[in-house]
Amino acid sequence: MPNLNRRDFLKALGITGGASALSACGLDTNMYPTPVEKILPYVVKPDQVTPGTYTFFATAVTRGPHALPVTARHRDGRVTFVSANFGTKDNKPPTGPQVPTSALFELQKHYSPDRLKGPSQGGAPKSWDEALTALATAVKAAVAGGKKVAYFGGYKSGAIVELIRSFTGGNAVFWEPAGYGPLAKAVEGLFGRRVLPDYALDKATYVLSFGAPFLSGWGNPDLADRFAKARNPNIGKSVARFALVSPHRDQTGAKADDFLACAPGSEVAVALAVARLVADRKGAPDAVKALIGAAPVEDAAKSSGLTVEQIQGIAEQLASGVGVALPGGATCSTDLAAASLLINLAAGSPAFSLGGYAGPVDDFSAVEKLFADMSGGSIGVLLLDDVDPAYALPKRIDVAAALKAVPTVVSLSSHTSDTTKSVAWALPTADVFEDWGDEEPTQTLRVLRQPATSPLYDTRSLGDVLLTVARSSGLVAASGLGFAPETWRDYLTQSWQASAPADVPFAEYWERSLQAGFAVRAPAADPAPALTATAWAFNPPAPSGAGDLFLHLHTHPFRQDGRYANQPWAQEVGDPMTGQVWGSWLEISPEKAEELGLAYNDEVELTTEAGSVKLAVVPYRGLRKDVVALALGQGHQGSGRYADKYGVNAFSLVPGLSDKAGAAALGAVKASVKKTGAKGGLITTFSVYSSTDQGRHFGAHVSAEKLAKAGDAESHHPGELTGIHGLELDSRLTEQKITDFYGLPDHPTYRFGLTVDTNACTGCGACGVACYAENNLPIVGPKKVAEGREMTWIRVNRYWEQDVGGQDDIRFVPMMCQQCGHAGCENVCPVLATYHNIDGLNAMVYNRCVGTRYCSNACPYSVRRFNYHTYLWPEPFNLQLNPDVTTRQMGVMEKCTFCVQRIRQVKSAFKDGGNFTRTVPSEVWESVPACVEACPSQALTFGNLKDENSKVSKAKKSGRAYWPLADLNTFPAVTYLAKASFHDDPQSHHGGGHAGEQGGGHEAKAGHEAGGAAGHGNPAKETPSGH
Amino acid sequence: MEGTIEANRPSSYAAANRDIIRVLLRPTVGWAALFLIATAAMLYGGWCWYHQLMWGLGVAGYNPPVMWGIYIVTFVFWVGIGHAGTLISAILFLVRSRWRTGVYRASEAMTVFAVMTALLFPVLHLGRVWQVYYFFPYPNQRYLWMNFKSPLMWDVFAISTYFTVSAVFFFVGLVPDLAIVRDHSKGLVRKAYALLSFGWHGTDRQWHHYMGAYGFFAALAAPLVLSVHSVVSWDFAMAITAGWHSTIFPPYFVAGAIFSGCGMVITLLLPMTYAYRWFDYVNLWHFDNLAKMCLLTSGILTYAYGMEYLIGWYSQNPYEWGIFYWRATGEYAWAFWTMVFCNCVAPLVWYSKSMRTNPWVLFIVSIFINIGMWFERFYIVVSSLAHNFDPATWTYYWPTAIEWGIMIGSFGWFGFWFTLFLQTLPAVAIAEIKEMIAPPVKGTLEAK
Repeated sequence: MPNLNRRDFLKALGITGGASALSACGLDTNMYPTPVEKILPYVVKPDQVTPGTYTFFATAVTRGPHALPVTARHRDGRVTFVSANFGTKDNKPPTGPQVPTSALFELQKHYSPDRLKGPSQGGAPKSWDEALTALATAVKAAVAGGKKVAYFGGYKSGAIVELIRSFTGGNAVFWEPAGYGPLAKAVEGLFGRRVLPDYALDKATYVLSFGAPFLSGWGNPDLADRFAKARNPNIGKSVARFALVSPHRDQTGAKADDFLACAPGSEVAVALAVARLVADRKGAPDAVKALIGAAPVEDAAKSSGLTVEQIQGIAEQLASGVGVALPGGATCSTDLAAASLLINLAAGSPAFSLGGYAGPVDDFSAVEKLFADMSGGSIGVLLLDDVDPAYALPKRIDVAAALKAVPTVVSLSSHTSDTTKSVAWALPTADVFEDWGDEEPTQTLRVLRQPATSPLYDTRSLGDVLLTVARSSGLVAASGLGFAPETWRDYLTQSWQASAPADVPFAEYWERSLQAGFAVRAPAADPAPALTATAWAFNPPAPSGAGDLFLHLHTHPFRQDGRYANQPWAQEVGDPMTGQVWGSWLEISPEKAEELGLAYNDEVELTTEAGSVKLAVVPYRGLRKDVVALALGQGHQGSGRYADKYGVNAFSLVPGLSDKAGAAALGAVKASVKKTGAKGGLITTFSVYSSTDQGRHFGAHVSAEKLAKAGDAESHHPGELTGIHGLELDSRLTEQKITDFYGLPDHPTYRFGLTVDTNACTGCGACGVACYAENNLPIVGPKKVAEGREMTWIRVNRYWEQDVGGQDDIRFVPMMCQQCGHAGCENVCPVLATYHNIDGLNAMVYNRCVGTRYCSNACPYSVRRFNYHTYLWPEPFNLQLNPDVTTRQMGVMEKCTFCVQRIRQVKSAFKDGGNFTRTVPSEVWESVPACVEACPSQALTFGNLKDENSKVSKAKKSGRAYWPLADLNTFPAVTYLAKASFHDDPQSHHGGGHAGEQGGGHEAKAGHEAGGAAGHGNPAKETPSGH
Repeated sequence: MEGTIEANRPSSYAAANRDIIRVLLRPTVGWAALFLIATAAMLYGGWCWYHQLMWGLGVAGYNPPVMWGIYIVTFVFWVGIGHAGTLISAILFLVRSRWRTGVYRASEAMTVFAVMTALLFPVLHLGRVWQVYYFFPYPNQRYLWMNFKSPLMWDVFAISTYFTVSAVFFFVGLVPDLAIVRDHSKGLVRKAYALLSFGWHGTDRQWHHYMGAYGFFAALAAPLVLSVHSVVSWDFAMAITAGWHSTIFPPYFVAGAIFSGCGMVITLLLPMTYAYRWFDYVNLWHFDNLAKMCLLTSGILTYAYGMEYLIGWYSQNPYEWGIFYWRATGEYAWAFWTMVFCNCVAPLVWYSKSMRTNPWVLFIVSIFINIGMWFERFYIVVSSLAHNFDPATWTYYWPTAIEWGIMIGSFGWFGFWFTLFLQTLPAVAIAEIKEMIAPPVKGTLEAK
């Protein structure tokens, strides 16, 4: 090109450059799984995506009664975190901002390597056209042959239910194995409406539970927040007392002030006796009294093993304030649910209404009928959604044979399950991050789900599948919208339009709801309970089978009924009560264990009439002597690489006899335990050497009465109620009078701090799981956890203490980096990889770390974690990684930095807004770290301690404040607030000081000999010596 | 060498030359066996380290919060061993203690090799060994600097200084002897020794400068004996961890180091003396004195152990007392009682003169001392971490095969150098021995 002039050159450059830019736009918004290899700006930027920044989509990721408004945090084409939905100033969701563990497990489920990647028939990949044609043909054939099209799935609500019912002509069963069937049945029987109750725990002063794990995923996710409010001495100037009447104490039960271990199956008698006493005292209507019957308290005492005084005490306390009763957990019978409802009626509890979940909740009898129909040949097409009958149904139902008897069985789950292998067609539907939808967790709250990311694989929305097949097979809907809407999104919009308020234009209403992620409406029916029943024959099923023990099944706080078993986070984060990970364990009382010669990790054979399994025991104090307890949710076969092989399937141990109402499936079973002589493979994240804090005041409590009287607001003497530390030390801790020899580091603008309210903390683990998600914590697997190498930055310590009265007092103390003012770790690092930054954070420079691990040895809180290996994320888990946080290499130390990347973002955003000199206002900081954002009970408060008026500064001045190991002069930025206790306060026996800490060493040995990783505490530390 | 605990001496200069030099460069079967065993152990340790480099520190038995295990235990053990040599060669030289003459060369070699062995561990226990240069103040554009507040940084300087000074002191002491070896050898070997002996001819002028330099290095090395293990003890004492955070550590560690070092000198020199039949140079007089040193330092250690317990109990500090109570009664109690037996009880037999002069008793008790001092470090390093402040993290650590392998490799590495030393350098200071005997009269040399 000899004649190339400048102008031509620029033209050529423009054309080639433009062409390469255009080829880049070919990537479009669906950036994954297409790898992005060149950094080129978008020529036409998608509206909602700015590379390198977050977009938040208000949505719902949990289903049915468990739904709540959250936001999906989207970054560069993928969802990396589920954030809380804080709403806007004038439109706040009625639920407290939180990210329960289940929402985070859904996130990890989205990226599961065991997701189905496209439709398949008998394992052979098929196209969606082939699959939908085949399904339409099958539906046509079924209709022509007079057979039914049936649907079997888990709880879901909103428009999809209407569509499913239209599609199946009403042959839809919505059931979950540890679900709310008995409660719904009881409400239906007593009040004539099939809804779930709504428990306004925040109004209560006394909570009586018969085992419902309402702080572990049972019912409305907002219950944890409401309970925390009831316990908060600043709200209503009282601390609600919580009594648990159950044979077993689970994570929810750990918060119980009174644990009344009753005989399995006797809960109904106790509940009725309480109801009777309350009814008599409150003068309840005769109709209520008639339903309760005589219910003599002596009989209840006799059958339950409780004393008459205990039962009277419950009734007295329940009646004297605002009492509310909750039913049982997974083993709840319809009678127990009814009796618990009657207590609320008798008490006239304002904390109880029928405004809860109104979506479909089917009884176990409906499942039995469905399977009878299947075996009987009257079902032509069966659609299986998020349910796993092969795993969860009792053995007496021959699931395989029933499935074989149905000509076409289609699995609509996005994942493999124990059932999918015996299913002809697998049509993976879009999951909660890819689909439209809505949920109605209560009768007033509607949560709108919108896609937060493009589909990861070749999946289609369930609604679209149903609409397409319905149209092509010529189905006619009986009512409603029918199958007219072109797409599922249209269906959803039209469904909302039909129920939209008349006073707002629908487009505006829809837009607003979509932005907010929720809408609130008036309930269709009056939520006040109006009794319709006149009689109820209480006849709870007796525990079946033979054996000298009772087997108590309970849902696991993480894996629930098994639905999250394939999520590594749900497997690797330690069980809140026992620290157990990656397996099943049998909880047995220490007395019984001793009697049988069993120690921690001894294997036993557990036999019931339905089956027998081998597993290892954990001596556990929260049990009656004649009860053994087993969590549901493990022992899958075919549900994925993280679910299979670990633990045993508890469902295989129940005969699955429904109670007379046909609602329950998991009643108490008799069992026997035989020592095999072998050792089990238990892995725990807890110490097996101590289950208490050895009097070292990691956990502390204050008298609830004193607290209610004194209040918890700012105190002139922070920590005065705990009596742990001298006031002099406290004033130094609040950085008022620092006389330290070295002086504290200078924090000119910010000193970030956290308060942890151990009174509100329920040990649910949401903080820890959120930390895994936000900070790219690797999963190390069972072998490495057994070596203590789990990477969690927040260790929720569970101290199983006993107070002077001999009552167990369980304290959850989340322990993360305390960002000490005088940090043990900072001085010892030879290469300055960890240092104190100007914001008061104990920063960690991964690239500088050489891995001497000296910092960890010098950390009195033992919160630093070390990368012993380079850990990998199996694809596509890597897509969940937070791009703002580096993944760490082998040989590097890591720890909590209060999510420094989020702090930086806030500062940058503030600067981008043109504020270069002003300090970021304190309210902006309040929910910045992932753990604070996630906490369902608002136990964590974050903020700037340099601002006297920030929420965290005020919380820090509480009379309940205490600082673990404050006597080491670490000047931590984390302040703990003591738990409220209703029992005699051992600390009041010695006003202040360190008495009671004596002889920590003696107890160390004692604790070990007792052999309890879990809950096998030491003798009460009765050292009322004082100084 | 039975009987006497008086100073023996060779009959003449020629005898001294002959006795010491005859063993050089003439490998015996026994020597070869020892050398091969040591080399094999060293290579095995190297393979273990390679494995660890590839897979990460996870192959070691660390069980958080126990983040230091037997690498650091063995590191402190070898640093301790490295004390006796300089003590004997420098401090005893300065105080003109005559009995040092026979044993100081081998002890000094032991010191140099022990410090070389110790230096391996801070490197190979790193999570990212490939970044080890971060420890040094190398120039870089980002002005990254090290943390001079960190005891580990002090360690880097203290141990490298100690190693440098010990090695130089060792070499300075060797120069006249190397010249003697040179004079008694031929060919290439002669050239090599000639190079090493720096043209030493034993002139008055050379001796004058030499003694000045030797005294200077002795004076320089003497305080390092005290400082280096004090600094090592600060690795622990400066951390807040209960059971570590104690002002008693520096003297306690120095005493322990001398104790273990003298023990190791007995362990090494007793067989050496018998194997080479060097009874004219090393005899019960030396071992008696070494045993007395052990006895003294054992007493100091016993006092220190007792004082730790007394303070732990008297302070009523729950963490402090908790850890001390647990050390004696908990899962590591066996290690604690092994240590107490080996360090406090076993040396007591040496109060009896007959036990101090019985070679078998000397050897066996010295082995106990080696074992006991290793367990002392194990008990300090591991148990404090295993029962740290938060009872919710209490755990148990036990080393893995890889860790044992690397530890065995460290003994192999030490043995490799020490056996090599025995074959190449005069293990008894010939020139100094000659100071103890009458100078040769003209003619006698040929007559002998």
